[in-house]
Amino acid sequence: MNPLELTLGIMTAVGGFVDISELVFAAKAGSKFGYALIWVFALSTIGIIVFSEMCGRVAATAKQPVFSLMRHRLGLKLGLATLAASFVANLITCAAELGGVALVINYLTGAPYMLMAVVLTLLIVLSIWVLPFQWIERTYGLLGLFMITFAAALVAIHPPWGHIAGGFVPQVPHGLSKKELLTFGYFVVAIVSAVMFPYEVYFYSSGGIEEGWGPKDVLTNRLTALIGMGLGSTLAISILANSAQMFEPANVDPAIPGSAALQAAIPFGKWGLILALMGMFFAVAGAAVETCLANAYSIAQFFGWVWGRHKKPWEAPRFTITWIAIFAIALAIVLTGIDVMTLVEFAILFSILVLPLTYLPLLLLANDRKYMREYVNGALAKALGWFYFAVITLAALAALPLYLLTSGGNG
Amino acid sequence: MRPDSPIKLVSELLDLPLLDVEGDYCGVVDDVEFKGGPGKELELKALLVGPGAYRTRLPRWGMWFVTKLAGDRVARVPIDKVRSVSSAVHLECAARDLGLHKSEAAAAKWLPRWGAL
Repeated sequence: MNPLELTLGIMTAVGGFVDISELVFAAKAGSKFGYALIWVFALSTIGIIVFSEMCGRVAATAKQPVFSLMRHRLGLKLGLATLAASFVANLITCAAELGGVALVINYLTGAPYMLMAVVLTLLIVLSIWVLPFQWIERTYGLLGLFMITFAAALVAIHPPWGHIAGGFVPQVPHGLSKKELLTFGYFVVAIVSAVMFPYEVYFYSSGGIEEGWGPKDVLTNRLTALIGMGLGSTLAISILANSAQMFEPANVDPAIPGSAALQAAIPFGKWGLILALMGMFFAVAGAAVETCLANAYSIAQFFGWVWGRHKKPWEAPRFTITWIAIFAIALAIVLTGIDVMTLVEFAILFSILVLPLTYLPLLLLANDRKYMREYVNGALAKALGWFYFAVITLAALAALPLYLLTSGGNG
Repeated sequence: MRPDSPIKLVSELLDLPLLDVEGDYCGVVDDVEFKGGPGKELELKALLVGPGAYRTRLPRWGMWFVTKLAGDRVARVPIDKVRSVSSAVHLECAARDLGLHKSEAAAAKWLPRWGAL
């Protein structure tokens, strides 16, 4: 295990943790319910750590990415249905991320939103064409570390740390009306979905194969998932806590993604705002790359195509054409003029509906000694795996009724 | 596992990815072909690769959709070209020797071959 590689991997995971949906829901959760939803972030973060570690281990030992194994496990029909559902979920998420980066540049420079969506999509496509996998992952992940501005802002405003710590205890706030209770329920589901997005697992496991992981990398995988994602989630929790401290008392509803950046402007002024927006830009652009590649990985792996950005783009031609086409479709969705917040709502909803379908085969595989040999799930991974499978299944069942009853969390 | 050892076909072979001798992905085991018949010994003859091999596995409307989207070509991989079966099927020859490279080669014509590190 190379300590420099490990540190870089962890930092990349920290910078790449937050995406547009987490940004939006962390800010909204804090302004609506104070610190009461921190525990959902903590609970879901442990969930994504458990599943990422598992799929990294599957990739390192079975040497096959999740979607190849998923098709083998689910068969052609159910596999195709899962592929189609996850494609739609990832595509909408990708469109939301592209809209998000265009909005951030719009805030920073005043340049027209639609034009920026086109220009930035082209730049992102160019970056994937030019850079090999590890550079792509590191560039966006490390520059996403500007998001630390949000944690610094939280420290600077001297929040009531006791209340924040209290937020880690699972709770439902007292005295909520029936309508508010439903909205609270919707936020719980939305946060579980945003933190445990299916694209993260596809990207993480395929990334492991892109980097040539083998059984010797099982520990690196475990530490990267545990520390990187654990620290990454403190950034999302910082946004929530800032929001609870600054927005809730003033009755501010962070109705646009940019509202969160104001959290850094309050203690640090103009430079705080700029750094926060830069963090948001790279984190969200990184998520756009991840969602798009995750979709292209899934399709290529399902049909057995040559895939990966460790190869030159023309050496994996169908894979390359697929990710370019996905960016083009996602951009077309943004250019219809649909609101980014609406895209985020749809991304959350579709993703939670497909989550159980994508996690079950992974869990079955990681529990299968024939594939995994001595790296098979231990008692802890197995227990946590089934617990989280139950959590996401419940969240998936509740998602659509809660979305409809609360008009997407808007009461 | 060696290709001539007994295997539970459906659970262990179907839908596994194929890797050629250079380690490149070149399809998925979409169907299998047997020699023999009722009352005779059944012997695995070839792996069938390509969207055309979905015909027996998808409902008619699904197959119509697949054919419109991806065509209906099928490539045969004689079983003696299989080196081993694990979490993937490893072949002992190159994809192009079995005609498994055609779609990738056709797609490659659309892409420029410069500009990547």
